[in-house]
Amino acid sequence: MTFDHPLRFLTTPALALALAATLAGCAPTTRVTLLPQADGAASVVGVSTPVGTQFLRQPYQVATVGRQGKLDLETTTAEKVRETYPRLLALQPPAPERFVLEFEPGSSQLTPESQAQLATVVASAQARAGGEIVVTGHTDRQGTLEANDRLSLARAQAVRSLLVARGFKPELIEAVGRGEREPLVPTDDEVVEPRNRRADVVVR
Amino acid sequence: MRTFIALSLSSLGLLTAPFAAAQSRGPAELAPAAVVVASPAVEASRIGTFKQVEGQAWAARAGARRAAEPGAGVVLADRLSTGQNGAATLTLKDGTVLTMGPNTTMDLSRFQFDSTTQKGHVGLDLLQGTVRVVTGLLARINPELFKVTTPTAVVGVRGTDFIVETAAP
Repeated sequence: MTFDHPLRFLTTPALALALAATLAGCAPTTRVTLLPQADGAASVVGVSTPVGTQFLRQPYQVATVGRQGKLDLETTTAEKVRETYPRLLALQPPAPERFVLEFEPGSSQLTPESQAQLATVVASAQARAGGEIVVTGHTDRQGTLEANDRLSLARAQAVRSLLVARGFKPELIEAVGRGEREPLVPTDDEVVEPRNRRADVVVR
Repeated sequence: MRTFIALSLSSLGLLTAPFAAAQSRGPAELAPAAVVVASPAVEASRIGTFKQVEGQAWAARAGARRAAEPGAGVVLADRLSTGQNGAATLTLKDGTVLTMGPNTTMDLSRFQFDSTTQKGHVGLDLLQGTVRVVTGLLARINPELFKVTTPTAVVGVRGTDFIVETAAP
């Protein structure tokens, strides 16, 4: 951490006490700042106290909460947020990377092309601080929901085993089965669709 | 003049904590973080994973405090904290990203996430300091069930990136 924070200048106990006493009367106890979403989508935060609720609907709106639960709305800027919360912005991890792996029909066996991608997945995860891999298996809509939950999990676990065999830490790989809930290509029930038999891999 | 500008932008939490920290700053802060060995109990019930960790950061469970390090797991009811020069980022199982600033204490009070149905809920208690929250799958599916509580307010979210800052009570 750099020590360019303005408070660095205030180092005597007397001044600290005076400051705290002054602030206790009027400073907000909680501040909530809405940031823009990475994809630009709309978002809403509600801040509630015993006396009411304040909604933040625009990026850089700030809700402040006073000692008695009094809510006020302020507006800040991207620049002020960078000045006030530098560490919160600096430590944000890079965006997750996504891979799609495909299976041989009716099996948990990856296609040769997808097997060749595993080394890239592991390298990508190892390059991150505390990198994790989430493998989510999917099926098409042929068969029951329950059977597809089991098959999708089996697919995810098969991929997980291959990643562990490549030396990635088992505790940092999660295998998830989503069954037929999230098709890549929407179909009616009981329709065979090979493109939906896949595993989505997220490295984060 | 610079000081007064800072006052108008900051709240009690950021302003008071650095003084206490400045008085107690000593050699202990320079000690290297202890190496944490993951225990089987943590692996079975892991709800999140530390990413970047800077300076001092800890996860405490049943009174035992462990230094945070990238890849280390957190479980339900862990109390996470950072020192005056500390900061840490972690992801929860649903993809929620939490970034804690310096002098922060936060409890992972409630967390449930079914990976298959993507249903569940999150409840964080921010006791002191600052946290940035970039919500994951849970807030997309169940926006009303993602809450951050401070000593004076409850923050409910809906598909969002936001910062909460709070003073110690």
